[in-house]
Amino acid sequence: MCHVTRRQIKQQGETLVINFAETIGAAKALSERNMSPAPADELGYKPLDGGWGWMVVVGAHISIGFAYSTPKALSIFFKEIQEELGASYSEIAWISSIMLAAMYAGGPVSSALVNRFGSRPIVILGGLMCWASMVTASFGTSIIYIYFFIGVIGGCGLALNLNASLTIISKYFLAKRPLANGLAMAGSPVFLCFLAPLNQYLLDKFGWRGSLLILGGLMLNCCVAGALMRPVNTPCKPISGATQKMVEEQPNNSITKLKGSCVKNSKKFLDLTFFKDRGFIIYLIGNMMFIFGAYAPIVFLPAYAIDQGVEDYAAAYLLSIMGFVDMFIRPGTGLVANSKWIRPRIQYFFSFAMIFNGTCHLVCPLLKSHALLVAYAVFFGIGFGMVFALIFECLMDLMGNERFPSAVGLVTIIECFPMLLGPPTAGLLVDIYGDYKYLFFMCGSVIVAGGLFLFVMNICNYHMLEKEKTAKDREQHQENQENQENRDQVSISEAAQQGPRLENTETPN
Amino acid sequence: MSASWKQIFFQMLLLLVSCRHINTKTSVPTPAPLPPLPTEVRSGIHNGENQTEKVQLTKPVNLVLECTWTGNQNKLPNVTGHWRKDGVEIEDSLLTVPLENDKYNLKREFRIVSKEDLRNYSCVFGNEAKIDFILAGPQMGEVRDKPIVSYVGDSVVILCKLNETEPRPMSWNWYRANGTDKELIVVDTDSHRYKIKVEKKEKEEKAKLVVHNLTQADSGLYYCEADYGINTTMGHVELKVITLWEPLKPFIAIVVEVIILVAAILLYEKSQSRSKDSAAGDGTSADQTNTLTQGENNGPEESSSMRQRKV
Repeated sequence: MCHVTRRQIKQQGETLVINFAETIGAAKALSERNMSPAPADELGYKPLDGGWGWMVVVGAHISIGFAYSTPKALSIFFKEIQEELGASYSEIAWISSIMLAAMYAGGPVSSALVNRFGSRPIVILGGLMCWASMVTASFGTSIIYIYFFIGVIGGCGLALNLNASLTIISKYFLAKRPLANGLAMAGSPVFLCFLAPLNQYLLDKFGWRGSLLILGGLMLNCCVAGALMRPVNTPCKPISGATQKMVEEQPNNSITKLKGSCVKNSKKFLDLTFFKDRGFIIYLIGNMMFIFGAYAPIVFLPAYAIDQGVEDYAAAYLLSIMGFVDMFIRPGTGLVANSKWIRPRIQYFFSFAMIFNGTCHLVCPLLKSHALLVAYAVFFGIGFGMVFALIFECLMDLMGNERFPSAVGLVTIIECFPMLLGPPTAGLLVDIYGDYKYLFFMCGSVIVAGGLFLFVMNICNYHMLEKEKTAKDREQHQENQENQENRDQVSISEAAQQGPRLENTETPN
Repeated sequence: MSASWKQIFFQMLLLLVSCRHINTKTSVPTPAPLPPLPTEVRSGIHNGENQTEKVQLTKPVNLVLECTWTGNQNKLPNVTGHWRKDGVEIEDSLLTVPLENDKYNLKREFRIVSKEDLRNYSCVFGNEAKIDFILAGPQMGEVRDKPIVSYVGDSVVILCKLNETEPRPMSWNWYRANGTDKELIVVDTDSHRYKIKVEKKEKEEKAKLVVHNLTQADSGLYYCEADYGINTTMGHVELKVITLWEPLKPFIAIVVEVIILVAAILLYEKSQSRSKDSAAGDGTSADQTNTLTQGENNGPEESSSMRQRKV
């Protein structure tokens, strides 16, 4: 009885070890074999990942920098414009809101144009639109005039810039894409740091009209950024016969030149098939929750600090500290996300960054002294920078190169709503309760919830994707087997027809 | 007819007499009746240390200043007390102050009507105890310290604000600096150049000077003055008028820089692709530049499209 038991125990032990190893292997496979649905073969070519790509990153840096920092930096002119045009404070604040809303809402139009014409002409067009909008606004005589020219036209110009810059990065980089994204998105804090004191200087020297004129000239540098964005030759996937004929019949269509020798199918204006993609919906919901809570703390931080007894100029410096930290964290996050441990798990890294950001906000109401608020500003900058460095990289990761331009347009127009609703809702909370802590609790909890949602749903999503993939592989394997059988049978029957000589050489399957 | 002449002569005589009568009446100086003023009372107590009280006045008043001194170690039955204005003893103010309820009291009424009256008043007991009353009138609120920049032909609004606590002044005046003097700005209904508006929004009293059709000569300091009767308070704002050419200079410089950079980048790209083509040998289209602004690229663009067709 003893040796039987011993053998049984040994067998059980072995099976246990084997099971354990399998589980570990499966878990490891699950965590590793998930992200990056866009290996090089899906793109059809190998992206440059360097060389001229870095100049493109510089161009994208400038373009994105102007796109995100201009609506914020314009607020320096508001008091002057308010005095001269006789508008109220809330009327003036609308300028920034309209500009941001137009920038985000112009996403789908921008996507369609980028798909059709490529990034370079669109960024140049965007730069020209912004230039024209600022120059005409400098001659403005009423607030409605300024709403239209700076808000609508300027915002649309920035929308063109933003979308096209993100797209060109996805075309030039794959292996180093997170780093490129981080460097490009760093444009936003860099330009804000640079534009804010410059705007103040221009305002003192030339008044708001002259400053808008010169700012328009500065925005013309987006055309330089656009010139840097050399189009990429994408070798074609085999095109259908109909489209080939179309190309031959319209040889004079050189103005509407497309990349390489390809004719891309004109994408629908608003591609709603994205909503069938599980990953996209998860990303969208998580992002909306983040954007809802992201901007309100920035808007109310100086007021909260003054409320806690910090002096005026020190409170304003908190935002500068946050921006300064942000400037370095974005490329740093890109570098970290590029490493071989994080890159496959980049969606989880993104949700971690969101949870970190949200936790900072939740902790903020406990911080009363100036030194602690400075520490909060530093951590806020870290969290904010991490999320924004990854926000578009994750979408590129999910959607792949082909679908990214349309996806980003759809995402920005949907994100318009939480972005416009967030700060006023937070302000309403402050008005009702008279205390800033509820604002921070709300923003922090919404962002943390978004991060957790992304984390959990991504695990589920990848698990389901794995299952689907193995099911598909099994089907594929079965199909191959059947095809092989058919082919063998055909060859056997052929051999039978040809005569007995060949029978010996054929081996039935 | 002679009767009417007589009448006129008689009337003229009467007139002369009455005039002379009026003259003699006015030649005797009689004190003009003083307008009645409201009374305000301010008091200060000396407990061993010299006190200083700040008195904010907003209109002409009869100011009654009361001083109370608790006395020193030897409580003399009588102490001398007098009043000072700006440290100088006021005539006829020396009094003998009796000890009442263990305290000495001094009281004097002052008529505060103009800026000369808004000084430091002190009551002095013996030579030991002193209480100062510093009188001040309303002060100007926040006035812009940075110069206002505006353009030739434009209109500008110069603003002066009073603090919330201050009442409405009797009148506002605007002056323009002329060398070291101040020149009063008169609203001329013909030229429509200046307009003065006074408004009260959200408890803040604001005075605005609107200047239309600016010229470069309009640059300089502008003074706003709020007149309260007892004093006037002044603020100043600097106005700078510049031509449109000033901001145009950096603007044109930036545009030129952008054009140069864009041309340089595109030329570099062309030269790179040309060298690549000559190295490769066949005409695979290397660049599809589609700039809408640079005319110089139309030529090479067409050639690339022709290559396209041949391929």
